[in-house]
Amino acid sequence: MTDKNEIISKLNTYITTELLKRPDKTIGADEALISGGLIDSFSLVDLALFVEQSWGARIDDTELNAQTFDTLGQLAELIAARAS
Amino acid sequence: MTLQQIFVFAALGLLAGRAYGRISRPWLLFAASALAVFWLQPAALVRGFDFWLPAASLGLAALVWALTLPAGASLTREDKLAAAALAVGGLLLAATRYLPTVLLTASRPPQVELVAALAAALALLAWLAGRFGRGRAAVLGAATLAVLAILVALKAEPLARGLNAGLRSLSGQDPSLATAFDLNWLGFSYIAFRLVHALRDRAAGRLAHYGLRDFVTYIVFFPALAAGPIERVERFVPQLHERFLLGAAELQAAGQRLVTGLFMKFVLADVLAYFALNPALGAQTTSTLWMWVLLVAYAWRIFFDFAGYTHIAIGLGLLFGIRLPENFARPYSQPNLTAFWNSWHITLAQWFRAYFFNPLTRYLRTHKWPVWAVVLVGQVSTMALIGLWHGVTLNFLIWGLWHGVGLFVHSQFAAARKGAPAPARWQHVLSVLGTFIYVALGWVWFVLPQQAQALHVLRVLFGLG
Repeated sequence: MTDKNEIISKLNTYITTELLKRPDKTIGADEALISGGLIDSFSLVDLALFVEQSWGARIDDTELNAQTFDTLGQLAELIAARAS
Repeated sequence: MTLQQIFVFAALGLLAGRAYGRISRPWLLFAASALAVFWLQPAALVRGFDFWLPAASLGLAALVWALTLPAGASLTREDKLAAAALAVGGLLLAATRYLPTVLLTASRPPQVELVAALAAALALLAWLAGRFGRGRAAVLGAATLAVLAILVALKAEPLARGLNAGLRSLSGQDPSLATAFDLNWLGFSYIAFRLVHALRDRAAGRLAHYGLRDFVTYIVFFPALAAGPIERVERFVPQLHERFLLGAAELQAAGQRLVTGLFMKFVLADVLAYFALNPALGAQTTSTLWMWVLLVAYAWRIFFDFAGYTHIAIGLGLLFGIRLPENFARPYSQPNLTAFWNSWHITLAQWFRAYFFNPLTRYLRTHKWPVWAVVLVGQVSTMALIGLWHGVTLNFLIWGLWHGVGLFVHSQFAAARKGAPAPARWQHVLSVLGTFIYVALGWVWFVLPQQAQALHVLRVLFGLG
C-alpha cells in the first residue's frame, strides 16, 4: 500500500533538493511543474528515472509532458496506480 | 491551403453542423479528409503523381494501421466498410480521367486498371502486414525506418533529384529534367510524424485499438494536413465520438480563430513579406539599420504566417468538433531560449522530446554520463534534427545547431542561477529582447540557403559590412 501523501512528500524532497537545488522550497500539490516551467525537459527524464527506482512505476518517454501529469498530485496518482 | 480551400472547408463545416442528427460525424470527417488529401495536393511535375502521392498517404496510413492492430483484434464491419470506401473511392477518382475536365486532382489521374492493380497489391500487403507482421518489434522498427527513409529521400536534395529522375523514367518523361522539387508531397512531413508516433507507441505496447476509419482520419485530418499541428492519436480519436452540436458558442470560438488566422496569414504576413529578409534583399542591402528592419520583418512574417495557419487549422477543427492542440504561445515574449522552444511549434518540439530527446537522455543518464554532457548531446542533436527536418541542407543544420548551442548555454546559465532571486522587471525585459535577437539572428541562417550570403548579412547587421 503506497500512501499518496507519502509519495508527494518524497517527490517534493527530491525535486527541491536534486532538481531545483532549493531545499528550503515546498511545492504545492497543485503547482504546475511542467507548464509552469519549474522542471525543464532534461530534469523531467531524471524525475522519471527517480520514480522508476523508488516505486518501480514506469513513466514512458512519450508521457513526460503536461498532458500526462503537471502537478505533484497528478504524478502521485499515476505512481500509486502503477507502483509495483 | 488557399483562401478558396479554407472557405470551402468552413462552408462544409457550417452545412454539416446542421446535419449531425442525420449523418455520422466520424464518417463525414473520414470521407472529407480522404478526398481533401487529393484536392489539397499541388501539381507534381512527374506524370500522375498528384494522384499517386495522396493515394500513398492513404495507403501508408492503412498499412501502418494493419501493422499496429492489437494481437487479438479482428476486422470489424466498420473496418471493412472503410477499406472498401478507400478502394472504391480511389477507383472512382481515377475514373474521372475520362471526364472533359479534372475534378479533384491537379492533373488527369492515371489509368483505372493501374490504380486497381496497385489497390489490390496494397490490400494484399496490408493483409500480410496484419497477418504476419502485426505488433512484431522488428517489423515495427523496419516500418519506422522506412517512413523516415522516405522523409529523408524527399528532403535531401541529391536523393530527391535521383528519386525524381527514376520516377520520370518510369512514367516515360525525360529524367535529365528532374529537379529536387518535382514531388511536393503535401503534408508528408507531418504524416510521417503521426505514423512514427503510432508505430513507436505500438512497439511500447501503449497504442489502443482504433478502427481503420478513425486511424486514417487521424493521419490525414484535412485542417492539420499541410502544416500541423501534430496531434496525438489518443487525444484525437475519442473526440470523433463525442456528442457534438455546432451551436452559437462553438461557432463563435471557431470564428474567432479563423478570423485571427486569416488576418495574421493573409494580411500581416503577406504585407510583411514585401520587406522581410530574403536572398535578393539581403544581397542588395548595405545599411545596418535597414538590415535589422528586414530581419525583424522576417521574424514577424514567419511567425504570423505559421501561427496564422495554426489558428486557421484550429478554427476549422472546432467547426467539426475537433480541438487540435495549440502550436504557439507568445514565443517572442519569452525570457529565454528554453521558454521560446516551449512556445514555438510546440507540437513538433513535443514530438522530438517524446521520440528522440527523452529516450536519448534516459539512455545517457542510465549509462552514467555527466549531466553537462547529457544536456549538450541531447539538446544539440535534437535541434540539429529539427533543423534537418526542414530540409537536409547545411543552412538548416546551422540553424538547428545555433538553437542547440543556445539552449545548452541557457541550461548551464539557469543551473548556475538555481536558487537565485527572481529577476527584476528590467532584467526580464532585457531577457525577452535578448532572446528575440538571438532567435532573429538564427533566422538569417534559416532563410538564406548560401552561407556566404548569411555571413554578409550578419556582417552588415553588426556594422562590419
